[in-house]
Amino acid sequence: VRARIVLALTALVLGAAGCGSSSTPPTAVTVAPIEAQPAGAQEVTTLPAAGNADCDREASLRPGPQPRPGGMPPGSTMAAIAERGRLVVGVDQNTFLFGFRNPASGQLEGFDIDVAREIARSIFGDPDRVDLRVVDASQRESALESGQVDLVVRTFSITCDRKDKVAFSTTYFNANQRILVVKGSGIASAADLSGKRVCAVRGTTSLSALFALDPRPTLFGVSSWTDCLVMLQQGQVDAVSTDDVVLFGLAAQDPNTEVVGPSMGIEPYGVGIKKENTDLVRFVNGVLDEMRADGRWQRLYDARLRSLGPSPDPPSARYQD
Amino acid sequence: MSSPRTLDARASVAWLRRFARTTPGVVAVIAVAVSAGCVIAGLVCGAQLDGRIAEHNAVLDHSEPLAYAAQNLYAALSAADAAAASAFLSGGIETAPIRARYQQALADTTSALADVTAGATDPNTRIAAAEISAQLVAYTGLVESARANNRQGFPIGSAYLREASSLMQTTLLPGAERIYTGNLAAVDEDQRAVESLPTAGLVLLGLVLVAIGVGSVMLSRRTNRQFNLGLVVAAVAVLLVGVWIVVAIRMAAGAIEQSRTEGTAMFGQLAKARILAQQARTDETLQLIARGDITAGEKSFNGRIVDLGALLGTEPSAASDGVRNWTASHHKQVEAYLGGDYPAAVGQAIGTDPGASAAHFAAVESGLRDQIEQTRATLRDRVSAAGAWLAWSPTGTLVLMVVAAVAAVVGLWPRLKEFL
Repeated sequence: VRARIVLALTALVLGAAGCGSSSTPPTAVTVAPIEAQPAGAQEVTTLPAAGNADCDREASLRPGPQPRPGGMPPGSTMAAIAERGRLVVGVDQNTFLFGFRNPASGQLEGFDIDVAREIARSIFGDPDRVDLRVVDASQRESALESGQVDLVVRTFSITCDRKDKVAFSTTYFNANQRILVVKGSGIASAADLSGKRVCAVRGTTSLSALFALDPRPTLFGVSSWTDCLVMLQQGQVDAVSTDDVVLFGLAAQDPNTEVVGPSMGIEPYGVGIKKENTDLVRFVNGVLDEMRADGRWQRLYDARLRSLGPSPDPPSARYQD
Repeated sequence: MSSPRTLDARASVAWLRRFARTTPGVVAVIAVAVSAGCVIAGLVCGAQLDGRIAEHNAVLDHSEPLAYAAQNLYAALSAADAAAASAFLSGGIETAPIRARYQQALADTTSALADVTAGATDPNTRIAAAEISAQLVAYTGLVESARANNRQGFPIGSAYLREASSLMQTTLLPGAERIYTGNLAAVDEDQRAVESLPTAGLVLLGLVLVAIGVGSVMLSRRTNRQFNLGLVVAAVAVLLVGVWIVVAIRMAAGAIEQSRTEGTAMFGQLAKARILAQQARTDETLQLIARGDITAGEKSFNGRIVDLGALLGTEPSAASDGVRNWTASHHKQVEAYLGGDYPAAVGQAIGTDPGASAAHFAAVESGLRDQIEQTRATLRDRVSAAGAWLAWSPTGTLVLMVVAAVAAVVGLWPRLKEFL
């Protein structure tokens, strides 16, 4: 017993000595993991401009007698464009299928671009006399109001709010708002978005529709739809919701994603025009009528949008006068 | 237990007091005080001058190379961003030289990062360097995602590139800037430390002179002799040391001042100019990648060019000529872009033509790099010159002060001997 006590005491003394002589190591550097986000990505917590649904949004101005290329009526907006020599159109460069830059050629391509070129053909007789300017979704109205562009052909949904600021042509395409998710996510409809993180572009009708959902999901606003796909790929959001054509364009860039759910609402696309330029509205409607009638609309659909499924017929025009 | 020894000690102290009042006692006290004072002052002055030399070595061996590495890190990061944007803009398959430029910038970045980390003693710099390493890995991942998607023709590629560039501009570059400005401030601090006078040593020298003066007066009263040769030699040696220290430090300070105005300050300005040029280059390339409204991009580009011009001054140099040509080429690019000729705008920005922005930007970059190297050489040369003024001062001071001590003892010894 005594030997054991001595042993224990010795151990204690040695241990204490050891403690006294041990030094604390210099503090090692530690840094947090890096999580990059698209520039300007932010959570949306305030209601985007209130929705005003009290109008016949698709009704536009009836075309008059359609002037021939090179023969625009003097004093008209079209004559001024013809004088300038180029039609300036606001388009997108990040929406696959509708308006995107083909990296191989560096040129902008897509269904919207083709529509813009058809309008240029009707003014100049030459579809190449078009000057494509990229505008952000949130700049579409202001670019028209400031006269920076003559037309906006950029997956531009016709809404009553927007009609207060700018004029629209008749509908040239009908899209449906749906949801893009990673395959196997378990999200199948808008009801499943509750408690999830959803991405949309600021200033779009899609974002307003998502904001109106009850319960409202956590919303992230970015500046371009491809930024939403980046956030989905980086696991920063669970879903992206907007027009099906945009979503199919995103899904085509990532085979791990799919478009799900029934339509959350129809989005009619029109060509945006400065409100005062009613002659140009009638002219563009005339061009669209011709495209519906002579099969050009169908050919453009087949060339650009075949991956969306068999062609629906072109949306019929509705006029207010 | 201790009383005999205490009594003994008390007795000797009492004897010493009595002895000190006698003439031989006074002479002995003067000899001991002056010689000890000389040795102590010599040691202190030597140590302080040694400290100045150590500060000078710190500038040359530590703070200046670290600031240079930090400047390289900052510049290499912005160069990587500009190169990545150019490579992306050049289309699905970038050319070998464009790819090589990006890879070179990454290699430069990691080399500079290694230098910065190796020289960093403070935890803040180490944390900042670790953050940059982590962010750089994320950055290159995003650039490669952009590249892979771009090669398949997917527009998401440009979204990844914009994300990468945003990471660079908002976190990587500001982090590198913090390291760099901290290091430049450290260089300045070390430089100032070299040029400050060693006050403690000079005060001690003064006290030794006073001791010699008082000793001489006491000696002349007690021995009726005007001067003691030993004390005079000691005083001359002490004065010589004082003059040496003041002159050496003043000359060194002059060289250091030159190194600060023609070196550190210039170096800081040129480094800032180099980074502004890289950022303006990124601005002009991103304009074409985003392909949208260029108002904001133009404002940023023009702001940086104006700042760049202000930093370069009015003196003609390769860099300022380059900036003029580059700005003219950039205006052609903007003209083509606004005129709707996108391919021409891209060609003007990244084409291989000697009149394109790529060549002019390369001229600006290499001009600035050369100027930075020259300034660095001036800085180091001037600091070295300051070191040369100080080089022999610690040894010389100590030797002269020992000579002074010996002279005092040798000079007083005959006076003491008279009484033995």
